[in-house]
Amino acid sequence: MPYNERLIETLSMVMIITSIAAVESQDLRRAAVAYCLQALLICGLILAFAVGNPALYLWAAVALTTKAVLTPWFLLRCIAKTGAREVQAILGFGPSVVIASVLLFSFYRLTHTYVHALAPTPGAVAGVFRTNLAVALTVFVLGLYAILSRRDAIKTVIGLCLLENAVHLSLVSLAPGLKETALIGIATEVVVTVYLLLYIIAGIREKLGTTDTFALSELHW
Amino acid sequence: MEHSIPSNLTYLVFLAPAVAGLLAWLSGRVRRAFAEVFAVLGASAAFAASLAIVGQALQGRVLTGWGLELRVDSLSALMVLLISGVGLPATLFAIRYLRHRRLYDSQGRDITDARLPSFYGLFLLFLATMLWGCVTNNIIMLYVSVEATTIASGLLVAFYWDRRALEAAYKYLMLLTVGITFALFAAVLLYASATPYLPGVSALLISELRGVAGLIPRSVALFVIAFFIVGFGTKAGIAPFHPWLPDAHAEAPSPVSALLSGVMIKMAAYALARTITMFFPVYAPLTTFIVIVGGFTMLLGGVMSLAQDDLKRLLAYSSVSQMGYVIMGLGFGTYLGIYGGLFHLLTHALAKALLFLSVGAVIYATSGRAMSQLGGLGKQMPITAACFFVGAFSISGLPPFAGFMSKLTIVLAGADAGMWGAVGVAIFSSLLTLVVVVRAGQAVFWGMPKFGVVAAQSPREVPASLWVPMAALALLSVLLGVYPQLAYPLLNQAAANIAGFISH
Repeated sequence: MPYNERLIETLSMVMIITSIAAVESQDLRRAAVAYCLQALLICGLILAFAVGNPALYLWAAVALTTKAVLTPWFLLRCIAKTGAREVQAILGFGPSVVIASVLLFSFYRLTHTYVHALAPTPGAVAGVFRTNLAVALTVFVLGLYAILSRRDAIKTVIGLCLLENAVHLSLVSLAPGLKETALIGIATEVVVTVYLLLYIIAGIREKLGTTDTFALSELHW
Repeated sequence: MEHSIPSNLTYLVFLAPAVAGLLAWLSGRVRRAFAEVFAVLGASAAFAASLAIVGQALQGRVLTGWGLELRVDSLSALMVLLISGVGLPATLFAIRYLRHRRLYDSQGRDITDARLPSFYGLFLLFLATMLWGCVTNNIIMLYVSVEATTIASGLLVAFYWDRRALEAAYKYLMLLTVGITFALFAAVLLYASATPYLPGVSALLISELRGVAGLIPRSVALFVIAFFIVGFGTKAGIAPFHPWLPDAHAEAPSPVSALLSGVMIKMAAYALARTITMFFPVYAPLTTFIVIVGGFTMLLGGVMSLAQDDLKRLLAYSSVSQMGYVIMGLGFGTYLGIYGGLFHLLTHALAKALLFLSVGAVIYATSGRAMSQLGGLGKQMPITAACFFVGAFSISGLPPFAGFMSKLTIVLAGADAGMWGAVGVAIFSSLLTLVVVVRAGQAVFWGMPKFGVVAAQSPREVPASLWVPMAALALLSVLLGVYPQLAYPLLNQAAANIAGFISH
């Protein structure tokens, strides 16, 4: 086994902590920085896996450009316009941290134990790949939690970014042989979507004076 | 036995509108007319290429391009014809519609003028991405193309840039991106679990995956199926993943609504049909589940459309309901069911695009779209009224219109499969649709004019550049109802393609 297991596990754990920071930080600028940090850790993780699969160097490069450079840049640019203070979430800070942590630990346990049900090939859940897949799914759920529980539109976009990071990371275990064109296609779309969403949110801020999604109440039923 | 031949048509059909869109966007900055010319050229080129493709498909040929990366069989041929066939009238309609001053009084003419080149650029790109999705044979690129349609249409939904449009666009992009991520997971899982059975890159090809879908581990297959249903189902407007649909379809400019409701959700249904039906032979209970989902969708959409005052929202909810028929037809899993599902996909695309363009014409003439503020327009706008009622009768399944034939096929397929509950739901929903659209038509076109806050001047019939595209769609809705055999050769091949695989 050529992989440095301890390195991969450490990076994974730190990455989960950055997700919590990105979700829970009430200063949007800090949340964006936490997100950027997470993207860098993902690049590190992919590089650690690249020891066994040189094709992953390209993946790391794609992740670096789209997730660690472009996305945080778009986020910070939008935050500079709309203000860094997050609209108060549905839950208070304390309960939210508790829920996120419980979600994190229980989901990680759950996925780590049962992830074989999702394993397309035995290799996808062997050794470090199992940890990686469980981490990816946990980050995915945290991203979903952020989208569902936050009122601030920019925060929901950060949640979406977490979701997409998780997908990118899971591909290392699930489909390490994926063609570059497909990978670049996936990564590019995410960046473009985030850019468009932030563009729309800037428009919302201009018209409504807030980025509170609860203010988006013209259309119902 | 179908034989496959390489053909340039496979990529021309979507590259032509994409390039035309780029040219429209660039040249439109010089003169707006250039953008309009390129838009019409691009949409016409796509339509011409689709006709050529259908000609080939009818002779039993399967066209391939870029190796096996692109593959056009009879089902794909049906879809490209449908998309470009609705795309062309929608483009023609857009030109006059967007020149109308009153539509963008709220933001000033200069701003909207400056945005028109981008509108046509994105409009054609939107068409191109939908066409691409229907010709790609790569499971990951199927996901990429579906997400690309969302990206291309996101700013079109937000075009009017007011409070409602922005809200709709935010929900549209957010919900669809989250939803479609599940489809990506499913696509990746399917690809990865097929790699032991298929050498190299062929595990990415949908045509090859079909043969091995039954071999992949059961637990993984169930995840793949569930994720595809959530992913593509969100895009197709299946309940309970539909809440983005009424917002986006109602707030977008009418020609865009015609594409969104007319063909975009159909393209997602196509993606669903391509992927889910792979599993039908091995997982028989899946078909019942899909039928139930279809029934739930048609009921919910029908009931919700009953409660609308806004014409465009009413039509959008009715699209949810009609998608239920398509899904139900596919769910029966029999030749007749799939034939009915695809036929309804076709007839509903024509009728719903027609209805959105007709409502667009009403908005053009009156600036209003709330039923409570409109009335008595039938006298001033006879052509629009006629077109609206053709579309309305078609989607509610009245003979001799096209929707009657397709709904009848679905109901017969349900009876044939012994699913009487589904048959009951389908007939009841159809009556519900009839009530909804006739009530809407009556409120808008009959009775006394009651232009409360709507424009004071007396509305007149829209110019020919608007009603000709509508009339073309109306004609097709009548033609396919009176002479449904017209669509038979293509539908037969497409349905046999899926059904033959299932029963194999």
